[in-house]
Amino acid sequence: MTGPELGAAGFVVLLILLALRIPIAIGLMVVGLTGYSLINGVGPLLNYLKTAPFWTYHVYDLSVVPLFMLMSQFATKAGLNAALFRAANLWLGHRRGGVAMATIGACAGFGAICGSSIATAVTMARVALPELRRYRYSGALATGTLAAGGTLGILIPPSIVLVLYAIITEANIITLFQAAMIPGILAAIGYVIAIGIYVRLRPDAGPVGDRASRREQWRGLFDVWPVLLIFVLVIGGIYVGIFTPTEGAAVGAFGTGVIAFTKGRMGLNDFLECLVGTAVPTAAIFMVLLGSEFFNAFLGFTRMPLILAELIGESGLSPMTVLVVVLIFFIALGCIMDSFAMILLTVPVLWPIIAGLDFGLDGEETKIWFGIIALIVVEVGLITPPVGLNVFIINSFAKDVPMTQTYKGVVPFLLSDAVRVALLVLFPAITLTFPRLMS
Amino acid sequence: MSEFGLSGPSIDGPLGRWLDRLARAFALGGGAILVAMTVMETVSISLRALAGAPIPGDFELIKMGTAIAVVAFLPYCQLVKGNFIVDFVLAKAPDRVKSAMDALGGLALGFIAAVLLWRMTLGGMDLRASADKSMVLSLPIWTAFPPILLSLALLVFVSGYVFWRDLKAAVR
Repeated sequence: MTGPELGAAGFVVLLILLALRIPIAIGLMVVGLTGYSLINGVGPLLNYLKTAPFWTYHVYDLSVVPLFMLMSQFATKAGLNAALFRAANLWLGHRRGGVAMATIGACAGFGAICGSSIATAVTMARVALPELRRYRYSGALATGTLAAGGTLGILIPPSIVLVLYAIITEANIITLFQAAMIPGILAAIGYVIAIGIYVRLRPDAGPVGDRASRREQWRGLFDVWPVLLIFVLVIGGIYVGIFTPTEGAAVGAFGTGVIAFTKGRMGLNDFLECLVGTAVPTAAIFMVLLGSEFFNAFLGFTRMPLILAELIGESGLSPMTVLVVVLIFFIALGCIMDSFAMILLTVPVLWPIIAGLDFGLDGEETKIWFGIIALIVVEVGLITPPVGLNVFIINSFAKDVPMTQTYKGVVPFLLSDAVRVALLVLFPAITLTFPRLMS
Repeated sequence: MSEFGLSGPSIDGPLGRWLDRLARAFALGGGAILVAMTVMETVSISLRALAGAPIPGDFELIKMGTAIAVVAFLPYCQLVKGNFIVDFVLAKAPDRVKSAMDALGGLALGFIAAVLLWRMTLGGMDLRASADKSMVLSLPIWTAFPPILLSLALLVFVSGYVFWRDLKAAVR
């Protein structure tokens, strides 16, 4: 077998292993290490393994991942998710569909201090789902809103997936965080509009809630000051270059921990729970990271990604056609695979292809623009019926809502996503203007 | 999925409880390193703002700390089956089939972790012999290896235990 053929064979074997429930990280390791030894021999492989895992983890920017995980654990303990929902609900609840809109607003707010979408969906479901049901919102709208709202967690900076993307493609994390801002806000606005239209068509789905007095509204808003403080400090500090992303994440985690303590909501046991709660998702990401290091070391030797990129570059396909095919592939894969794993698995192969095409942007800007679009599209996969992960998770929280209702509930949000992705693909300036202004 | 679910057969028996306690202790140790990192960076930034000079070489400690902490998290993640899987093709398969495949995954990881333990022990000794040091603090790089190797050893045991547990569930 030639190198590229071996690379392709490696992919096929990997897909079979993954279909057979072998954890993604372990499948990557098995195929990567086997392929490596087939090409270079067992001796060089054993040599490679002496220090390669250590250097894979011994990376400054990677520290952002566990630190942001820790921060969102503390934020939940501090009750910031509940405070956000209460505040948003006081302002929006009296409108038709308002409690759902408030849920989106609260998800966006929590997304500003949390870098993971499933964590946002789960955290917000705990506080918002009971309220949505209490105001007699339809099961479809309630669960659809939460599944979609969760995806804001990853889009609005900080975003752990963007950190991983930056490390794979050697992009600037700060620029990526800046670029995600406008698309993230657009996502939240688009979801609120989707709810508005939905309840106009189906008025019983989202009844009006209670109207709060101005005084209560301002009080509610005042209660979310920690979120604002953390966000301005961490993201603002990273944006203007006072902090590196690691410093921002560390200060954010520290500050959030202090808030949780001083609010009297975190005892020793809760604190330890936060540490263990950080350990599991962090370990899962770093396992895949090590697997993809092994797998990509193997793929690099096969030259498969390079040759594939060349073939596509010479095929005469228009860049937009290739991009659309890549995005459809992302959506399909995003339906069944976690977004962290997916970015680590696909970007090393797909980025060289995109980099070889001309979208009328310079290399660095193409990298940023593609990263943001890829991130959004991966998240669309998370809420795509019949398999999107967020859909399953939220549905498991609402036992009385049949799965089919949840599927129906995400449709308005998917339509909103489709419009937004089309806009971002057609007008790169939406994504790139903010980083251009900041630089 | 990792963020919320502990799937698979529950941890039982004295061996399981011991490994659970040990893996949790390692996870907490890794967490303690993270907390220490947050404190160090907060102090460093305050110093930079007030005195104009941060803690020297803090980024070297961050790199070392991240590597040590993250590897310390791995055994607990494997014990509670926190690793990402694609539960799609076999989603409706009988539990015994799932357990059999999980056993296979556990076996593979146990083997890989054992190989890594062996090779990285040698790698750490190489680094010690060559006396590689970090740039600012002159911290010997090999000093990160002993805690990492301990975590890997625990990962070997945990993977073996999870394999055995899943195998029992598969052939029951």
